[in-house]
Amino acid sequence: MKLSPSALTLKYFFVLLASAIVLYPLLWMVTMAFKPYPEWTTVAGLTWFPKNPTLQNFEFIFYGEAKGLVVSLDRTIVGPLIASLVTSICGTLVALVSGTLSSYAVVRFGLAPMLPLSVLQLRLFPPLAVMIPVMVMWAFIGAVDTWWGLSLIYGIVTLPFAFWLMKTFFEEVPVEIEDAARVAGCSYWRVFYRITLPIVKPGLATCALFVFILNWSDYLLALMLTQKDWVTLPVYMATLTSAMGGQMYGMKAALGIIAAIPPVVFGLMIQKHLVRGLTFGALKQ
Amino acid sequence: MSSIQIRNVTKRFGDFTAVDNLTLDIEEGEFAALLGPSGCGKTTTMNMIAGIEDLTKGSILFDEQELSGTRIQDRNIGFVFQNYAIFTHLSVYKNLSYGLEVKKVDKGEIERRVKAMADRMSITHRLDQPAASLSVNEMQKLAIGRSAIVEPRIFLLDEPLSNLDAGFRAYMRAELKVLQHEFGQTMIYVTHDQIEAMSLADKIAIIDQGKLMQYGTPLDIYNSPDNRFVANFIGSPRMNLIDGELREEKDQLKLMVSGGAEIKLQGQVKSEFASDGKVQSGSFGIRPQDIYFGDQRSDSDIKMHGTVEVLERVGPKRLAYLHVLETMFIAFDDQDRLKVGDKVPFYLPSEKSMAFDLASGRRLGGVAK
Amino acid sequence: MSDKSANTPTKTGYWAKVAQDGNKMGFWFVLPTVLLLVFIVVFPLFMQLYLSVTWWTPLEGTPWYMAWEVFSWGENYWYQLTDPRMWGALWRTVLIMIIAVPAQFFLGMALAYLFIEKFPGRKIFYSIMLTPMMIVPAVVGLMFYLLFQGTGPVNDHLGLPSNFSWLTDVNRAMISVIIADIWQWTPLMFLILLAGMLGVPSDQLLAARLLGGSNWQNFIKIIVPRMKTVILIALVLRAVECFKIFDLVYIMTKGGPGVQTETISVFLYKLTFAELEWAYVAAIGLTILFVLSVIAAKGLSYMVKKDK
Repeated sequence: MKLSPSALTLKYFFVLLASAIVLYPLLWMVTMAFKPYPEWTTVAGLTWFPKNPTLQNFEFIFYGEAKGLVVSLDRTIVGPLIASLVTSICGTLVALVSGTLSSYAVVRFGLAPMLPLSVLQLRLFPPLAVMIPVMVMWAFIGAVDTWWGLSLIYGIVTLPFAFWLMKTFFEEVPVEIEDAARVAGCSYWRVFYRITLPIVKPGLATCALFVFILNWSDYLLALMLTQKDWVTLPVYMATLTSAMGGQMYGMKAALGIIAAIPPVVFGLMIQKHLVRGLTFGALKQ
Repeated sequence: MSSIQIRNVTKRFGDFTAVDNLTLDIEEGEFAALLGPSGCGKTTTMNMIAGIEDLTKGSILFDEQELSGTRIQDRNIGFVFQNYAIFTHLSVYKNLSYGLEVKKVDKGEIERRVKAMADRMSITHRLDQPAASLSVNEMQKLAIGRSAIVEPRIFLLDEPLSNLDAGFRAYMRAELKVLQHEFGQTMIYVTHDQIEAMSLADKIAIIDQGKLMQYGTPLDIYNSPDNRFVANFIGSPRMNLIDGELREEKDQLKLMVSGGAEIKLQGQVKSEFASDGKVQSGSFGIRPQDIYFGDQRSDSDIKMHGTVEVLERVGPKRLAYLHVLETMFIAFDDQDRLKVGDKVPFYLPSEKSMAFDLASGRRLGGVAK
Repeated sequence: MSDKSANTPTKTGYWAKVAQDGNKMGFWFVLPTVLLLVFIVVFPLFMQLYLSVTWWTPLEGTPWYMAWEVFSWGENYWYQLTDPRMWGALWRTVLIMIIAVPAQFFLGMALAYLFIEKFPGRKIFYSIMLTPMMIVPAVVGLMFYLLFQGTGPVNDHLGLPSNFSWLTDVNRAMISVIIADIWQWTPLMFLILLAGMLGVPSDQLLAARLLGGSNWQNFIKIIVPRMKTVILIALVLRAVECFKIFDLVYIMTKGGPGVQTETISVFLYKLTFAELEWAYVAAIGLTILFVLSVIAAKGLSYMVKKDK
């Protein structure tokens, strides 16, 4: 049934209002990244779209200096960008591999019935409440400020998502298919590797992207477990001010854009499965 | 209680025309069935009456009053869904009382009416149970009761019996008829099952590809179909419809069927075919039960020779499949004398035969009503 | 079959046997996860318990395993009960929770209601609505940090002077943080609630309308009751995450001014890195762990009971 014109107008009014509220902060940051210093504040009047659009903010964070700027940077974005990529990807691999294998064993062989809930409780507690022993351990094994140390903790904190998400995907694979292959003489490993895994491949890809987003979005863990060499993008972005003394709105905004793009792109790609991922598979869209 | 006027209603979904210039008058207290093959537009028609779908063109009136501005909530229509749409999260009682509660009817009054309706539908013992625990048959009763309790102006039923098991379906068919008399309500019933329509409805509207094919009483439709589609659609086993070219040779009007068989037209059906001089190709229709064997009963009856190919037992009678060259006639072998392979003469009574224009499907020769 | 070796177990050796035995293979499959869990739960738990009953701090160079030298009995646990800063942080965390989560819930519900039926542009608007929750929380912190500057656009729109501060004001700092949290996480509520709402059978909704129920009546009596589980999941999920809130607050205000926006996580962070009171942090952390576990266990058993 179609809405009456007045109801439709009202609907559009609210939808547009909500969109405006959503876009307002985003737009300010995005345009900020292309503004030169005088336009960063509203002192000389508010400008939404840069009067003198410039790429110098990006230039600055990539090269450490930019034409027309007196300040310079010791550390460019390159190191943190690589650190973010490496640790997010490695963390995703840890979570994905252990989550996939164990959820399969739980779904198909009914092993470790307590595992699902034990895994889930990793998400219940504030990380800071349990960080002291982790930091002591990490220092003890020399994992602080290393790529593998950060990847390891990433893998662990996103394991619940990978586990529960893959669990729902495995549960959707009809057991008859596997049984048929078993009857035909395939070993359990071969059934898993040649039959089941290819079936859940789209799920696996979704899960990987989802976990990657979570890892990429982390700020707290990197803040605590890295110092210099493996500082990630969000930490680097937040510390940019303190390093330089003055406010560097434009550069921070440029960094913010770069940090925000991958999760938004990936997130929109897996839109269909977001509900499933975020609710640990309790709800499906 | 209301009468319903459907005036030149058209409904398009994009390029697809679901309902095409449909006009239908349903009188107060009448039980009308919308009958047609699936996808013919009957459910769309019903949805438009309920206000679930908008009209592309035309108008629908209740008691001569235009409905288009009225919201679904205010139409006061009893609608029984194919899958009943029971509120499974509520109790049976709450399901029945929903329509009264939202109208802020007095509590005591609600209780009285719910009890009465539950009694009427014989689901009183289930009142306090969750509706999700009901059997399909009970859900059907609840769905009807829930709609009836608000005393709607009209009742719409969308294939309400299709989910029931065969035994209960027969029972419910009778029950529906009783209910309709009791409520005295205008009812519109959508179905693809002609037996349901024939046994329940006061009037049947046959719809095909969005167009109204015929509207009339069940007997009327059965005995004098307006067109080839209705003739073919109504009746079981189906009417024999033989398509061919009309040819006149030596004062003898013949229907030449592809494959070589020919029907020498006689009597009434001949004059019907002849009534419209422009017709090139026609369709000859005769119901299986009208074909007879043995001695010719009237001069005007058409004699044919055929080979019995299959004999099929249908209840107490046998259906004979008779081959005349490549054309097949189905007839009832009421005397149990035929054997497979027999070459037998049989007769097509001309007064009971029908003539159709093959191109337009129109019944020829001024339909005798 | 092309590969004969797959059909007949001609291979010998341990791994061939594992591949033939579901339970054995399952054991190896669960092993990595179990090891990670033991590594991150069991061992640290004992260490945390151990450290929490000492005065140990990384400052003095004593290795952690020698912490028994500065044994404190239950002093840390006793102290936290009377620590006004701890209670303040807890109260502020709860405050954010009881304002932001319901706000997100009602806004999310209203938004979801707008999106039930199709309308031109629905897909694009849907994507726009989801964007905030996909942005790195630290970046969201930055975005609102920029917005709420004295010389930022918010003051400009509202016609306020540039010395009207948000993030460094005793009351408004908290408001800013809550606004940012609502902005970022309403989409999550929207997403989950919309999925739940679309799960309500449309013919039942139609039946309710045909029975004369107004949109509001049908919403309260049909849609909401049918979404009970979904609503519960959404609320629990957000409440749990909200309790952990750190990134937004820390980037926007660093917990300031003073301790005005110091949540539990920010408080623990400062204790850990600024004051280096690791033993005390361990004690508080363990208490939080205990309390949350009790709540979670109670909640779970309640839900299991309701299921039956």
